[in-house]
Amino acid sequence: MADAIIATRDLRFAYGDIVALHDVSIDVPPGRAGLVGANGAGKTTLLKVLLGILRPQQGGAWLLGSPVSRATLDVRSRVGYMPESACLPPDQTAADFLIYAAELAGLPTRAARQRASDVLTLVGLHEERFRYMGGFSTGMAQRAKLAQAIVHDPDLVLLDEPTGGLDPEGREEMLALIGRLDSFGINAVISSHVLPDIERTCDWVIMLDGGRVLRAGPLTELSVTGEVTLEVLDDPAPVLAAISRRGVTAHIEGHMIVVEAQAAETNDSIRDALVEAGAALRRMGPRRTTLEDIFLAEESAALRPAATAKPNGKTPADEEQT
Amino acid sequence: MTEGVIFDLGYHPHEGERLGRAGAVRALYRDGLRRVLGLRRRARSKVLPVLLLSIAVLPALFFVGIGVFTKQFDLEDVEFFTHAQYFGMTSAIAMIFTALAAGELLVPDRTFGTLAVYASRPLTFEDYLAGRAASLITVVFGFMYLPQLVLFFGRAWVSDQGFGSYVAGNLDTLWRTAAASAVYFVAFAPLAFAIAAYSRRASFAAGTFIGLMVISSPVSQALVEAGFKPSGLLSLQHHPGYVRDWIMGESTNRWIPERAGYGPVSSLIVILALTALTVFLVVRRYRRLT
Repeated sequence: MADAIIATRDLRFAYGDIVALHDVSIDVPPGRAGLVGANGAGKTTLLKVLLGILRPQQGGAWLLGSPVSRATLDVRSRVGYMPESACLPPDQTAADFLIYAAELAGLPTRAARQRASDVLTLVGLHEERFRYMGGFSTGMAQRAKLAQAIVHDPDLVLLDEPTGGLDPEGREEMLALIGRLDSFGINAVISSHVLPDIERTCDWVIMLDGGRVLRAGPLTELSVTGEVTLEVLDDPAPVLAAISRRGVTAHIEGHMIVVEAQAAETNDSIRDALVEAGAALRRMGPRRTTLEDIFLAEESAALRPAATAKPNGKTPADEEQT
Repeated sequence: MTEGVIFDLGYHPHEGERLGRAGAVRALYRDGLRRVLGLRRRARSKVLPVLLLSIAVLPALFFVGIGVFTKQFDLEDVEFFTHAQYFGMTSAIAMIFTALAAGELLVPDRTFGTLAVYASRPLTFEDYLAGRAASLITVVFGFMYLPQLVLFFGRAWVSDQGFGSYVAGNLDTLWRTAAASAVYFVAFAPLAFAIAAYSRRASFAAGTFIGLMVISSPVSQALVEAGFKPSGLLSLQHHPGYVRDWIMGESTNRWIPERAGYGPVSSLIVILALTALTVFLVVRRYRRLT
């Protein structure tokens, strides 16, 4: 927790009878973290709790080392927030709104003007700075929303569905911008249900489902499956048979052989099997899974015990709803 | 389709001072003034405030013009209206202006989702309301007081006593008109603010406020004439005029609360009580929203 930009302990928040966050405890290191989950998983609620907009009924949160509940305004002066919903006044120009957004975070007017100009350039809206934002396209509006979130030079920015509603090109541009936040010295938490976006931009991930943390950790660790894949030039069946004869579990997926790497000698067994079958190896490496696969696997694993735990046939989620 | 070009000019972090909460409230205040007066907004946003302010100041300018004319031709002194009567002329316009200003200050921030931006800044909802209320105080008080100042200094300019002697001899008019302007603000603005806090559209908020103010007088009068005297206190539009006449030391109308047997202090108490209620309602609304 010492180096974490975000830490929560046993965080619980409910909207009336509906529990949105269940005992959420996470430590997020500096860098770019992804907050993933389906709609209604509790992502936006967690962001609002982190900003001090919503007060948790239980537990605590710390941002940049400060407790959110006791130092809310101090925390907010060092954090930026890009909401998922619209937040831009249509009757203001982008430049005026950015200056205002910077002043609201405490920057003096002259510095606010300079920052607004710089940030509008960074997000590609310099040419549009004197246009009223009511006439902005979705892509421009998203970039203006990102600009207002970073205009006061925060240490951490919370982005809620930053690619929402964008066409493929706009999405690429937004992801490129998010990818550059690191070089600005700005840590980021990116909330999204578009998992490939998180895979591309983040090095740490928190998976939420029904308000619970399914998994949290470095993306590289999460995506390691403990399996090895290999592709051979000819028929993979003889190689699979040779591997199996050596007591190693393997199966064929498409034209690839997937081998469970249970022991350190697995690679030796694969080598020997290839020699025995006389097959030419095209490629071999550790199998990495997509975030989507991990999420679905974790989600179904989480549902299984919950569904079987209740003899009345109701899952805990069902009971919360009622 | 590409809509913009991203230039890499490097990133320059802000290493200067940060003004914190006080700076944020000042920014809110300035934004409120600009928003109400349509400054740094589209031309159509400026039309109504400029038009209403012009209508309010026009009688005073007209008076000064006539004064200069009569002085030039050595005609007798002309006095078209007193300061209290001038309040009577501008109060209806001020009511419309207040209704529009309150709606403009509160409603767009909610309907356009800008409250989410405020919620992420080092501000409390009380700071937000204080900044917006300060903007409203400035514009509404200014709207009421500016025409009075134009009239006062215009009179001083055309006075036979000379400018300095007129001002020195009528200094009490300055504070009386300031106090009366404040009464109009307190009578109009908090209610308009509260209605705007609960409305989804600025135009609906303005219409509701004006309708409530206008309809309160005939309803109150009818009930008073029917013998139900306490209903004289329901005449929202007549309270500030009654208190204003009391402050200015003259009687320009037979006010409904007066007809019902209440003194100006009763009207002032009603205004203050209504203010307290509306402040409570606004704070409650925003506590729930944020």
